[in-house]
Amino acid sequence: MNSTRTSRATAIAAALTAIALAPFTAQAQAAAPASAADEIAALREQIRLLDQKLRVLERNLEIKDETAAAEAKKQPKLTASEGRIEIASADGANSLRLRGLVQADARFFFDDADAAQDQFLLRRARLGFEGRFAERYSFIVQPEFAGSTVSILDANLAVAITPALNVRVGRFKTPVGLEQLQSDSVAFFNERSIATNLAPNRDVGVGAFGSVFEKRLGYQVSVTNGVIDGGNSPASSANPEGDFTLAARLFATPFAEDKDSPLKGLGFGLAGAAGNYGGTTANPLVNAYRTDGQQTFFAYRGATVADGTATVLSPQAHFYSGPFGLLAEYFRNTAELRNGANAREVTNQAWNLSVGWVLTGEEASYRGVTPKQAFNLSAGTWGAFEIVARVAHVDIDDNVFVGAGTTSLASPNNATEITSYGIGLNWYLSRTVRAGFNVFRSDHKLAPAATVPASGNALSDDETVFISRVQVAF
Amino acid sequence: MKLRLFPVLAAALAALSLAPAAHAQRAARPVELLNVSYDPTRELYTDFNRAFAAHWKKETGQDVRIRQSHGGSGSQARAIIDGLAADVATLALAFDVDVLHSRGQLIPADWQSRLPHNSSPYTSTIVFVVRKGNPKGIKDWPDIVKPGVAVVTPNPKTSGGARWNYLAAYAYGLKANNDDHEAAKKFVGDVYRNVPVLDPAARGATTTFAQRGIGDVFLAWDNEAFLALREFPNEGLEIVVPSISILAEPPVTVVDKNVDKKGSRKVAEAYLKFLYTEEGQDIIGKHFYRPAVSEAAKAKYASQFPAITLVTIDEVFGGWAKAQPEHFGDGGVFDQIYRR
Repeated sequence: MNSTRTSRATAIAAALTAIALAPFTAQAQAAAPASAADEIAALREQIRLLDQKLRVLERNLEIKDETAAAEAKKQPKLTASEGRIEIASADGANSLRLRGLVQADARFFFDDADAAQDQFLLRRARLGFEGRFAERYSFIVQPEFAGSTVSILDANLAVAITPALNVRVGRFKTPVGLEQLQSDSVAFFNERSIATNLAPNRDVGVGAFGSVFEKRLGYQVSVTNGVIDGGNSPASSANPEGDFTLAARLFATPFAEDKDSPLKGLGFGLAGAAGNYGGTTANPLVNAYRTDGQQTFFAYRGATVADGTATVLSPQAHFYSGPFGLLAEYFRNTAELRNGANAREVTNQAWNLSVGWVLTGEEASYRGVTPKQAFNLSAGTWGAFEIVARVAHVDIDDNVFVGAGTTSLASPNNATEITSYGIGLNWYLSRTVRAGFNVFRSDHKLAPAATVPASGNALSDDETVFISRVQVAF
Repeated sequence: MKLRLFPVLAAALAALSLAPAAHAQRAARPVELLNVSYDPTRELYTDFNRAFAAHWKKETGQDVRIRQSHGGSGSQARAIIDGLAADVATLALAFDVDVLHSRGQLIPADWQSRLPHNSSPYTSTIVFVVRKGNPKGIKDWPDIVKPGVAVVTPNPKTSGGARWNYLAAYAYGLKANNDDHEAAKKFVGDVYRNVPVLDPAARGATTTFAQRGIGDVFLAWDNEAFLALREFPNEGLEIVVPSISILAEPPVTVVDKNVDKKGSRKVAEAYLKFLYTEEGQDIIGKHFYRPAVSEAAKAKYASQFPAITLVTIDEVFGGWAKAQPEHFGDGGVFDQIYRR
C-alpha cells in the first residue's frame, strides 16, 4: 500500500515538477532574475505550491479510495468459498444460502451374499436453500432427490423472538435422538447406529427452541402430528387419529462457554416424546428396524397397528476434547399396539456408544471435523483422518411374539436382539469432501419360537458389511 | 393419554411461559446500544459512554456496552434509513434527524420536542484554524477568499459540519452585502473556489489540514479546532475567531423503530437523558462542546469559548426545512457555485 502510494506520488511529483518548472525556466531564460535572493524565494514558493498540489492530489486519491471502500461495505456480499455459497445483505440481516449433500456408497456384504445385494448406491442427493429475512425470520427448504421419488425432508420457517425463544413451524426433526439431530454428513459413521431406529425422525408441526443461562442450557419443544420409532411423517402429513405428539428435549453444555475448561465439549441431556396413535392397516404407524447394512431385522405383522399411547425416553450425552469424540444415548420406547383382538403394551430398548479420534490432530466436535489442510498431492498435504468405533444394541420386547398363529404382533421369524459393532476410517479431503470406510458386524438373536431362516433370508446369518462412501456436503 | 386440545394448549403455555423468563434473563444480561453519530464526536462519546455505563450499572445493576459509529452526518442518516440498527442518533443537524422521520418513518414527527433544548444537549459554532504564525494573515471571512489562500472544509452534501461552515460563510456574505443573496452566493462561491479537497466528513478534513499539511485555513467546529490544537501540538496551529459565525445545534434522538424492535428503549432513553445531567454536561464542556442546559457547566467552561457573534439558522435561513433543499438539494445553491 505504502509502496504503491510512494510510486504514485513520485510519478505525480515528476509530472508536476516538469509542468511547473517549464514556465519558470522559460521566464528565467527571458529575463535575468533581479537577485539570487529573489530567485531563491521564487523557487521556494514554486516548491511550496508543488508540494501543496502533490498533497492535494494524494489526499484526493486517498479520499477516493476511502469512499470506494466505504461504498463496498454497503454492497450485498456474495460468498462463494468452499463450504459456503451465499448471498447476503451488507448487514447480514437478509441472506440466501445454497446447501447440498451428495453421498455415493459402495456396499459389500460378506456373509449374506444370498440375501443382500452388493451394490453401488446413491444414498442421499439433496440440494436445498436456507435463508434469513429481516434478521429474525429464517427458513429451510431441503428436498431429497435420491430414491425413486423426490421428497421434501425439511421445510420450515423459524422466528427468533429472543435468543431464548425461537418458534418454528413446518417440517423438521423431532427433538429426541442425539445422533438423529446431528447432520448426516458429520456423523461418525456412514450410517447412524441401529439404536436410532427407535428415535422419531422428521415430522410436521410447531416447535419452540432456544438457549438460556448464557447458552449453557438448550431446550426444544414441539407439537407434531406424531411419528413412531425412527420414522418420518408421511408425505401426506396424515394424522389419522387426530391427536398430536408432544416432544421435549433439554440439553446442557455447562462448560461450553469456558474456553479453557477441559469439559467444554461435554453435553448431556434428556429427551422424550409422548402421543396417542391410532394406526390403520393402510397407515399402521409402526416401523420396521434395519441393520447398519439397511436390511430389515425386525418388522411387525402387516395387520399390527399402533393403538394407544406411545412414549419414548432418551438420556443422551456427548463429549469432545481435542481430537477425541464420544456420543452415547439410550432409548426406551413404550407403545400400545394391536393385531386384531391381540392388544399389548410393548417396550423396546436400544443404546449406542460411538467414539472417534482424529489422527491428524484436528478438533472433533458434534458439528464434525474441519481439516487443517485439504488433500493436495502436489503440495504433499493429505487432509484429516479419523478412526471411529461403535457398539450399539437393540432389544425387542418378547411380548410382540406372544399370540397364537398370526395373531402375534410380529412374526417369530424376527430378531429379538441385535448387537452391532462398527469400526471405520474417515478421510476428510477438504471442508466439504469426506470419504468414509466402515465395517459393521451385527450379531442377532432370533425370537424364541423362530424357525430356522431359509438361506437367503436376511436373518439366516449374522451381517458383516463393508460400506464405503464419498460425500460432498456444503 | 389423550393428546388433543389440552396438550397443545399446555405446550403453547409452556412456550409462552419461557417468554417472561427470557425477558428476565435479558434484564440481567448485558445490553448493547449503538450510537450513530457524526464525525467529530468520537472522543466526546467515548468518554460519555464510560460515564453512562457506570451510571446505568449503579442504577440498574445491568452492564451496558455502547458501540459508536461515526461518519458524515448526512451519510450516517442515510445508513440508518438503509437499516443500520442505531438505538440513538446523535447527528450534526436537525435536518439529518428529520429525514429519519420523513424518509425512514423511524421516529415520530415531533421527535425534537421530546428532550429539552430542542433535543440539542450541546451547541457549537464554526471557527478558523490557521497555521503557525498565521502566515496568510487570516483574520475574518474576506481573508479566506483571497487568491492563493487554500481553504479546507468538508463536502456539505455529506457532512453536517460542512453545511454549518457553508451557512456561516453565507451569513457573512449576506451581512457584508446588505442581505444581497446574489452577492452572498458569489462570496460563498469564492470560498469554495479556494477549496482544494472536499472531504466527506469533518474528521477527514481535520486529517487533511493538520496531518496531511494541506491548506492555509481550516473551517472547523470549535470543538474540532481545539482537538486539532491538542492532537497536533507540534504544528503550532492557531484558532482565529471570525467576526460572525453560526450557532450549530446538533440534536439527539432515540430511533424508535429500532429500540422497540430490540427492546432497548428504556436504556436508550436513559442514555440521552444522561446528556442533560450535570455529569453529562460537564463531559460535554470538557470536550469543547458548549453545554446547553447546565448553568454550572456553562460557567465552568465559559472561558474556553471565545466571544463571537452568532446567528441562527432560523433567523437567517428560515430553518433547516427551507435551507436544506435550497442550498444543499440537487441543483441547489451549492451545486450552482461548486461546478468544476
